[in-house]
Amino acid sequence: MQRKIVATVVAAAITLGISIQVVAETTPEDARDYRGSVMTALRGHIGASSMILRGLVEDNGQLLNHAESLANTALELKNLFPAGSNVGESKALPAIWEQQEKFAEAIKATVDATAAFEDAVVGGDAEAIGAAFRAMGQSCRGCHDNFRQSED
Amino acid sequence: MTTSASPKTEDVRSGAAAWLAALCLAATPAGADEAERSQGEYLLHAGGCITCHTAEDGGAPLAGGRAIQSPFGVFYSPNITPDNETGIGAWSDEDFLRAFWEGVNPAGEHYFPSFPYTSYTGASREDLLAIKAYLFGLEPVDQPNREHELTPVIASRFAAGVWKSRYFEARRFEPDPAQDEQWNRGAYLVRHLGHCGECHTPRNRFGALEYERELAGNPEFGDGSVPNITPNRDEGIGRWSASDIDYFLETGMLPDGDFSGGSMGAVIEDNTSHLSREDRRAIAAYLRSLQAQ
Repeated sequence: MQRKIVATVVAAAITLGISIQVVAETTPEDARDYRGSVMTALRGHIGASSMILRGLVEDNGQLLNHAESLANTALELKNLFPAGSNVGESKALPAIWEQQEKFAEAIKATVDATAAFEDAVVGGDAEAIGAAFRAMGQSCRGCHDNFRQSED
Repeated sequence: MTTSASPKTEDVRSGAAAWLAALCLAATPAGADEAERSQGEYLLHAGGCITCHTAEDGGAPLAGGRAIQSPFGVFYSPNITPDNETGIGAWSDEDFLRAFWEGVNPAGEHYFPSFPYTSYTGASREDLLAIKAYLFGLEPVDQPNREHELTPVIASRFAAGVWKSRYFEARRFEPDPAQDEQWNRGAYLVRHLGHCGECHTPRNRFGALEYERELAGNPEFGDGSVPNITPNRDEGIGRWSASDIDYFLETGMLPDGDFSGGSMGAVIEDNTSHLSREDRRAIAAYLRSLQAQ
């Protein structure tokens, strides 16, 4: 029992320590680059999933891995946009911080859509998986439309 | 007349077949109409009609009122539901065909090329009348058209006529016998029904498409720029496989797993995601055959 309490305190201290460290040392550039890396990870799992869905490569159980990774990584989206992190070559639009409620809704739509994609993959019905994948893409686009600078 | 391959025999046969087909059509008018309407619905998507002819933010479908920005002012799309007063309910088949093929309204006035008859002129009679049949089966919406807001010199139908005499040629699509069926289907969809070039082909200062630079992108279009979709490996989509193009048109996913926003999002939603895989593959085959720009 006592050991459990100690472990909890230690865990809390570690958590606290890390979060303090992040607040103290993360520069706006770091935050921007971390965001870029996480987005690249999401794109990677989406691209890989699509190749399995298109039948271009065999699914040896990895589709579920990609879907789980997408659902888990999407949970981090809400932490990726600290104020002041649209520096340098960031494509993040000011609307993210000006319309926080709308932005939070857009993020939640993606979190829900990735969870639904994971559920569909677990369910195993090809048509439902395809539909969930498309819906997930629409949720990405929903955010990019309003909150990301377009390429042009 | 003894060999079955003689042209005359073929004529007689196809004549008989047409006569039989006509009989069948006459016998089951409802079924035939239904098939035509459903084909029309498919072609309405292929023609990208919905996006422009529906107002943003919940406008009645196809009742018009969408603002289309251009260097010459703002165009407002018209109501194409079959309402007799405010829509196209009073149009004959010939009125409908003339609008697409020649760019004139039933009163004989010239359309501005914001209505892409410059591309639609290649569409077939059968396809256009199927679209009309579908539109005429819809519920009429009573919604008056909004006047365009154009710069003074441009704002006359006469100016549109002058423009047409210089930059427009009414001509149906003719398959290229040197190419296969898939390529020709793709060419028809890209150049004519899907009117991809209206956004993706650069324009001269009079707003006319520069056909020799087909689909090379338009740096100044609407609020932004439209990308090069020729097989250029750096500037265009030269690194995309046929499957990549097909999948992008179906889902909006770029080959790197990104989902682009912007005006193409609506095109995918209203238009290309409704196409059959065959048609999307045909589009891919045509795009991949183009000269890299």
